[in-house]
Amino acid sequence: MRGYSRTIAKPEINTSEAGLKNGNGWRGLLEKKAARAAARARWAERVASFIFRTSAAVSLVVLAFIIGTILARGLGTALDPSFLFGKPQALKEGGGIGPMLFSSLYLTLLTSVIVVPLGVGAALYLAEFSREGRLVRLIRWGTESLSSISSVIFGIFGMVFFVIYLRFGYSLLAGALTLTLMNLPTVMRVTEESVRAVPGSYREASLSLGASRWETTKKVVLPAALPGITTGVVLTMGRIMGESAALVYTVGIFVRKIPLSPLQPAAPMAANIWHIYTEGALIPDWMRVASGEAAALLVLVLFFNLAAGALAGIIRKKMGIMN
Amino acid sequence: MLHEAEEKEEETVKGTKEAILEVIERPGDNRTEGGREGIGTRALENKMELIGLGLSYGDRKVLEDINMPIPARSITAVIGPSGCGKSSLLRCLNRMNELVDGARVEGKVLLDGEDVYANGFDVVGLRRRVGMVFQKPNPFPKSIYENVAYGPRLYGVKQRKVLDRIVEESLRRAALWDEVKDKLGSSALSLSGGQQQRLCIARVLAVQPEVILLDEPCSALDPISTQRIEDLLHELKELYTIVIVTHNMQQAARVSDFTGFITIDEQGSPGRLVEFGETREVFTNPKEKKTEDYITGRFG
Repeated sequence: MRGYSRTIAKPEINTSEAGLKNGNGWRGLLEKKAARAAARARWAERVASFIFRTSAAVSLVVLAFIIGTILARGLGTALDPSFLFGKPQALKEGGGIGPMLFSSLYLTLLTSVIVVPLGVGAALYLAEFSREGRLVRLIRWGTESLSSISSVIFGIFGMVFFVIYLRFGYSLLAGALTLTLMNLPTVMRVTEESVRAVPGSYREASLSLGASRWETTKKVVLPAALPGITTGVVLTMGRIMGESAALVYTVGIFVRKIPLSPLQPAAPMAANIWHIYTEGALIPDWMRVASGEAAALLVLVLFFNLAAGALAGIIRKKMGIMN
Repeated sequence: MLHEAEEKEEETVKGTKEAILEVIERPGDNRTEGGREGIGTRALENKMELIGLGLSYGDRKVLEDINMPIPARSITAVIGPSGCGKSSLLRCLNRMNELVDGARVEGKVLLDGEDVYANGFDVVGLRRRVGMVFQKPNPFPKSIYENVAYGPRLYGVKQRKVLDRIVEESLRRAALWDEVKDKLGSSALSLSGGQQQRLCIARVLAVQPEVILLDEPCSALDPISTQRIEDLLHELKELYTIVIVTHNMQQAARVSDFTGFITIDEQGSPGRLVEFGETREVFTNPKEKKTEDYITGRFG
C-alpha cells in the first residue's frame, strides 16, 4: 500500500464569507479526499474479506477433518445396536458400550438436576435481587475464578473431597458434584446474560401493576429469558457429556454392568475412551471399541448442540402465542 | 355499559371474585366513597396531593419543593421542557422511582389523605390503586388475553369465566375490543403501536385503579392513534383520576382540566412547579411570565 496521506497537499480552505457561501470553501478538498478514501476503503475491504474468508475456511476444514475422521473410523461400529447397547468385554473381542452410554446420560442428567437450579437461582439473585456490593463482587469473582481452573484440578479436588473425605467412593454422585462445581459459572453466566437481556420495560410494567419483585421474576422475566437459559443449559449438558478429566478420578473408567444407584461407580464415555486408548491393551479390538465409542459420543454431543437451538426456537414461538 | 352504572348504588361486601364482577358491572362506582371512610370531602376533591415533594438521584436534585393537588375524576396535565423532571414527578406518585438506585424522595405524596411514603405503606397496594401507562407501549411478550389478565391473576382471580369478563370489559373500555376480539390468543407484540398502547391501558384498567398515570403516552404514536387515545382519556375521566405528562402543549390543552407547568432555571438545576391551575386559565391567562413564554413557544 502506498502512503496516500503523504501525497495529499496541505488543504487550502477559503473560509471567507464568499467562499463559504458559494460552496467552494472546502467542497473541492472534500471531493478529492473522498475519492482517495474510497479507493483506500475498497483495498482494505478486499484484504479484510480475504483474511476473514481464509480463517473461516481453515477452521471449517479442520473441523470437518476431525468430525470426518471420527465418523469414518467409528460410525459403522457405533450404529450397531449390539455395540451401542451391548455388554463390554475386557479380554475378548466384540464388547459393547451399553453401560458407558448409560453412565454418560445418567451423569449428565444428575449433574443438570443439581447445577441448573443452583446456577439459575444464583444468577437470578445477582441479576434481579442483589444490589452491587461486596458480597455480589465476591460471588462474581469466585465464579469467574472457578471457570478458569482446568478440569483435572476439579477432578483431583473431587477425588479428595467427595470420593475420599465425604466417603462417596468412585460414584456418579461424586462426579456429578464435581461437574456441578465446574459448570456452575457457565450456567450462571448464561442465565445472567439472558435475564439482563430482558427489557426493563417488562419489569416496570409488571411492578406498576402491583406485582412483587419475585412475581415479576417468575411471571415475566424468567419466561422471557427462558430461550436463552435453555440454550445455555443444553449446551452445558453437551459439555458435560464430553468431559473426561474431571471424571477419571471421581466416577470411574470402566464398568461391566449398568449403574443404577448414584452411589455406584460408573464409566462415562469420554473417560472410558481415555482409558481404552491409554491402558486398554487388554481388549484385543480396543481400536474398534474406542473408535465406535468416540463416534457415538460425537453424535450425542452434536445432537445436544442442535437440540439447544431448536428448543429455544420452540419456546420462543410458544411464548409469542401463549403464556 | 356506562348506562347500567347508575342503576345500582350501594356497596355490598362479598368475596373477591364477586366484588370484582360487581365493580365491572358498575363502572361508575368509586371505592373511595363506600370502602374508605373518614377521609371527608377534601379527599374527594383532591384525589392526590404533593406536599413539598423533592427528588434526587444520588447527588443530583431533580425536583424541588413541588406543591400541587391532583383533583379527583379529572385530567391533570403536567407540562414542561425536556429534562425538567416531569416524568420523574409522575414516578413519585406510584413509587416507581424506588427502582432507581440512589433515588431519594422528600416531602409527602398524599393519596386520599394518606402519605404513600409513610413507613409501612403497602407499595404493592399503592401500585394497584395508582396504575401507570408508559411512554413506549410495553405489552408483555404474551397473548393479548394474558396481558390484560396479568393483574387480576396476580390478585388471585383464577376462574376462567371471571377473567374472561374482566378481559372483555377492560378491552372495551380501552376501545380495543372490536379490533382484537377474534384474536385474543395471538401475541400482543403483533399489534400496531397504537393498539399496543391501548392494550397497556386495558391492562391497567383490569386492576381497577383509582388513579391512572400516563407518561407521554402518545409520543411514540401516529396522529390517528393519538386521537383515539385522547378520546379514550375523555371517557375514562368519568371514572378515574388521570395524570398525564406530555411535552405536547396542544395535547395538554385538548385533554386536560388542570395543568401544572414545571421547568428548570438552567441545565442541571432541579425542576420546580411554576404554575398550577385550570387548564383554560393556564393557557389563556397565565399568571407567570415563564409559563407564558413556554406556552407561546418562546423557549423549551
